Amino acid sequence: MSTHDPALVDDPTVDVRDLSVWFGPKVALTELTCSFGAGVTGLLGPNGAGKTTLMRAVVGLLPPNLGTVRVAGRDPRADRSVHTLMAMVPEDEAVPEQLTARQFVEYVAALHGITDRRVAAAVLERVDLTSAADRRLGGFSKGMRQRAKIAAALTADPQVLVLDEPLNGADPVQRAHLIALFHGLGDDGRTVIVSSHVLHEVERMAERVIVILQGRLAAAGGRRAIRDAMADRPQRMLVRTPKARRLAAGLLKLEQVAAVSVDGNDVTIATTRWRDLALALPSMAKRIDARLLEVRPLDDSLESLFKELVR
Amino acid sequence: MFGYALRACVPMKRRLGLGALCLAALGFGLLSHTIGGDRSHAFAQVASAALFPLVLPLAGLVIGDAVLGAEVRAGTFHFTWLSPVRTLTIAIGRWAAGTLVVGVALGPSFFAAALIAGSPRSAGAASLGAITGGAAYVALFIAIGVLVRRAAVVSLAVVFLGERLLGGVLTGIAQLSPMWEGRAVFTGLAPTVHTFSSVLPPGLPPPGSLQGPFPPQTVTVHIQTFHRAGIPDGWGAVVRLAIITIVALFVATRRLRVIKLAGSTD
Repeated sequence: MSTHDPALVDDPTVDVRDLSVWFGPKVALTELTCSFGAGVTGLLGPNGAGKTTLMRAVVGLLPPNLGTVRVAGRDPRADRSVHTLMAMVPEDEAVPEQLTARQFVEYVAALHGITDRRVAAAVLERVDLTSAADRRLGGFSKGMRQRAKIAAALTADPQVLVLDEPLNGADPVQRAHLIALFHGLGDDGRTVIVSSHVLHEVERMAERVIVILQGRLAAAGGRRAIRDAMADRPQRMLVRTPKARRLAAGLLKLEQVAAVSVDGNDVTIATTRWRDLALALPSMAKRIDARLLEVRPLDDSLESLFKELVR
Repeated sequence: MFGYALRACVPMKRRLGLGALCLAALGFGLLSHTIGGDRSHAFAQVASAALFPLVLPLAGLVIGDAVLGAEVRAGTFHFTWLSPVRTLTIAIGRWAAGTLVVGVALGPSFFAAALIAGSPRSAGAASLGAITGGAAYVALFIAIGVLVRRAAVVSLAVVFLGERLLGGVLTGIAQLSPMWEGRAVFTGLAPTVHTFSSVLPPGLPPPGSLQGPFPPQTVTVHIQTFHRAGIPDGWGAVVRLAIITIVALFVATRRLRVIKLAGSTD
């Protein structure tokens, strides 16, 4: 296998080849080829890009319409024994609400033939849910549900862990805790696949990133390479000021500004060097004595960023 | 699997629904007192018109759908499917739990309904018909739950259009129906039917063409009208229900192997 293709790794645990999945007329994934090995790999893409579909296909919840998925050389749709090696944390909030967190984890453990109750207690401890272990899942917040699902996924000590937006609903402290947990699992040699539509989250969690857009592979590689690729994209910024026309005239003289448009008090600026612009803007405003009422990026959704990557 | 299904798959609303159906069964037993004549006949009428065609399938639907189909729709079945447990074990575990719940609820309810109706000799047959019919219904609704997305709607259509409407006129469909077979368990094993058979002299014309008045010991002739040609009664119906159960569980097991569990997001 070539290591020159950044979407592929040497010695993969999870190997995806020419994967296409569609739901009726809607194509979710198109001829996607990538692989995952030991360590944490981030799946990045906007909502609807196909991340969840890819993850569900990897664990066998969805059959490929075309192409193949192999986990440790086995087809997860055909060989149920592969589930002894693999676990998934789905993004959906759905949990068996009647059960307590402990009962839920013990159930998943029992499915894997683990009857030692200390295992459930240990994984609940790992996700910091010990104090809430005997509360019903129905009363849990979204973040707590995510942690309960992560605990359940960890019970069988899986070699491959697939985590779909695992930080959803978690507070900053819990995020840091979970990110450290994922790093630890990756460092232990496990294959951890983690998805997010938030760039900085993926950057914190994963060394290697695979970007998916509209069901296709958009980019792959180290997180630094992905970020550099994204940094060069044109970005728009909105500045609101009573002296919009004077500010626009001044901004046009700056080399980091590609275009400016004015609509009432709003100045929309296009730039490929938004960091430089952020530094230059306050001094420009001071020079013309313009009060800045609001400054905000217009492209914070990452959608434009992903589009730029595949252009 | 069994314990999980009992604890996690029957939420309070469904328990209340099942409880209401048990109360309805008792109510129908009470209602039979509005029908005059022999108590066994009156209870058989109520059982054939309400307990087996209405209470039994609804209870089967409430629980049969809960133990698997509802979980698939809610998105919590992933946790079970993403395990090395065989799909046959999953299907049988869920069925056993559902059958236990339905059996514990309906068996005593139908038994008590017969007692309330004043027909204690029919109580065992009614109870057995409820338990065996309930077991078949749970298996059937488990299969429907993994075969179609709108399982509750399809299940209701199967019961009221398929079994009641079509099964009422087509014996072939009735032979595949837990409702009709459960009813046949009851009509075949209720002791009054045997009394009737032993009382009638050989060569008597079919019950529908009999003209009254009858001597007192032949009042059970009315029971005979609950029998349905082409459907085995009593233990024969129990065997049919066992076959329906096995086939439904086989279908569910096969389907579980290839089921698509798509999420609600992305």
